[in-house]
Amino acid sequence: MTGRRIVRALLAGGLLLPTLVAAGCGVRPSGVITGRSAVSGPAQGVGVYLIGQGELALVLRPAKVAPPLADVLALLAAGPEENERRQGLTSEVPAGLDPVTVTSAPDQSDGLTVRTTTTARALSENAVDQIVCTVADAAAQTGQTKSFVPVTIVGPDGARSPRRCPIG
Amino acid sequence: MTFWHRFAARVSGLRVRLLLAFALLGVTTTAVVASGSYIQARKVILQQAQDAAVVSLTDQLTKVYPIAQLPPTQDELDLLAQRLSDREGFAVVVYRDMRSQGSLTPDPLTAELRQEVGERHIAWQRVSLDGQPTLLIGTELMLDRSDGTSRPSGLQVYSVRSLLPEQQSIDRLATLAWLTGALSLALAVLLALLAARGVLRPVRDLGRAARRLGEGDLTTRLTVRGVDELADVARTFNDTAGTLERQVGELRRMESDARRFVADVSHELRTPLAAMTAVTDVLDEEADHLPGDAGRAARLVSQETQNLTQLVNDLIEVSRFDSGTARLALDDVDVAAAVTATLRIRGWADRVRAELPPGVVARLDPRRLDVIVANLVGNAFRHGAEPVSVRMSADPDWVTVEVADRGPGLDPEVLPHVFDRFYKADTARTRSEGSGLGLAISWENARLHRHGERRGTLVAGNGPGGGAIFTLRLPRDTTDAGGAR
Repeated sequence: MTGRRIVRALLAGGLLLPTLVAAGCGVRPSGVITGRSAVSGPAQGVGVYLIGQGELALVLRPAKVAPPLADVLALLAAGPEENERRQGLTSEVPAGLDPVTVTSAPDQSDGLTVRTTTTARALSENAVDQIVCTVADAAAQTGQTKSFVPVTIVGPDGARSPRRCPIG
Repeated sequence: MTFWHRFAARVSGLRVRLLLAFALLGVTTTAVVASGSYIQARKVILQQAQDAAVVSLTDQLTKVYPIAQLPPTQDELDLLAQRLSDREGFAVVVYRDMRSQGSLTPDPLTAELRQEVGERHIAWQRVSLDGQPTLLIGTELMLDRSDGTSRPSGLQVYSVRSLLPEQQSIDRLATLAWLTGALSLALAVLLALLAARGVLRPVRDLGRAARRLGEGDLTTRLTVRGVDELADVARTFNDTAGTLERQVGELRRMESDARRFVADVSHELRTPLAAMTAVTDVLDEEADHLPGDAGRAARLVSQETQNLTQLVNDLIEVSRFDSGTARLALDDVDVAAAVTATLRIRGWADRVRAELPPGVVARLDPRRLDVIVANLVGNAFRHGAEPVSVRMSADPDWVTVEVADRGPGLDPEVLPHVFDRFYKADTARTRSEGSGLGLAISWENARLHRHGERRGTLVAGNGPGGGAIFTLRLPRDTTDAGGAR
């Protein structure tokens, strides 16, 4: 009886110790620990959204002062530059987008309206996202509107429904 | 078996149990406390190191801004990585498919970290890189908008730094914890030994005293120390021993009084009996001339006087045994010759079948041997049936004499009491021809012969073919002439 009790106590002690040891000596690998949101800072230049590997990619082009919104869209319509093309960036916005005018939406929704001479309905999804993000971003950059305002593209063949930039 | 028992007794002994209990307690407590504080300290050390590294990285990253051109060229990535690297770690800058040169192969960045960084959070992870603990910190570089929100630039910065210094401090902690454990174990063992001594000494004293009491030393007492339970036990033991000593003393006094009384009475009876014997001798001679009843009466008186004399002599003998004054008169005796002489003197030589191998010499008291043999053979004739046989055998240590008869044997109920004084096998027979002390005296005589641990014995039993057998065994070389009982 006593012997069995001693054996049991010894077993308990013998199990406890290795368990604690197994809890780990030294520095053990961990899972991913998440902190606050990512580092952010100011950007210089004009931001244009191109397509890289099927996704929108921000491109910054050097500029001293922020150009008007229509000029930014003209930059977008001009397509990727040489070094950008070398890195596999493309654009689906047709060169015929230019000339465009950008105005505030007629309703009081803070939105923007982009008027173009090319057919608005024939634009691809990516092209629409490029235009929407570029113009919304540029407008937010200059303090003209808030981020993520809805943008309506109007062509000679009619208007597309208002759309917001999917990234941000 | 014996070894195992002794081992088990040792292991389950009080000392070992106390030792184990203390050691277990000490080790368990230390293990829990030490491991708890170890784990806590490790957590704090790592957390501080990680937080400091994250803060340092974010500080450095503020110097990267403003970002003027995207996408960056390979040179720009490399330059950025170089600027962010220091002696504590190096940086890897990733932009889409591009990554800064000089980064390690294989890729130290884990998929789950990259995913978390893709969610636009600062994230970090400890990994084992080439067996070394390493901290990975990653963040996306975001670009501010004027309204306070931000957009991702696609640039991701990862900092890879070794946690070896932290590992070393944690290892030092572990060593300290082990040392503490060993120290506490040693301390626990020491305390256990002290406690065991404190408890065990009174217990051992008690055990020794009880053994001495059991061996007959009724004056044994314990020193009572303290007021604990063990002291209570010691006090109770002392009281018990005291009572026992008083009562045994009383009994001994009463018994010795009774014995002295018997001895005195016997002695006092000797003188008148001697006179009576002298008278009855005369009566015996005259009995034949006396007519009828007078002659019978004279013979009866003579016979009873002889019996009385025998009884008184036996009583005196017994009182000598009881008072311890019986002494052996040792001599080298040819046992066969001695037994033959006994039989011849009593006139039994023709009636007894004797098997006595000659040449067996033993050192014993010949008078007492004669008393024993005569008593046994006489009893065999009186209570058993003929033929009576006397067989003697010997080995280097013992000489054995067996007296057997062909009578009805001894009743199993009688056997344990055969050697009691005045014991009558047949309760209806109130008077026997003997004094009732013969076998008791024989038994005492046998026991008087001793050599060291060997002691003479007289045993009664029944033979396989019926009839009683009395077996006398005496040590061949009795040395102890003392009459100690």
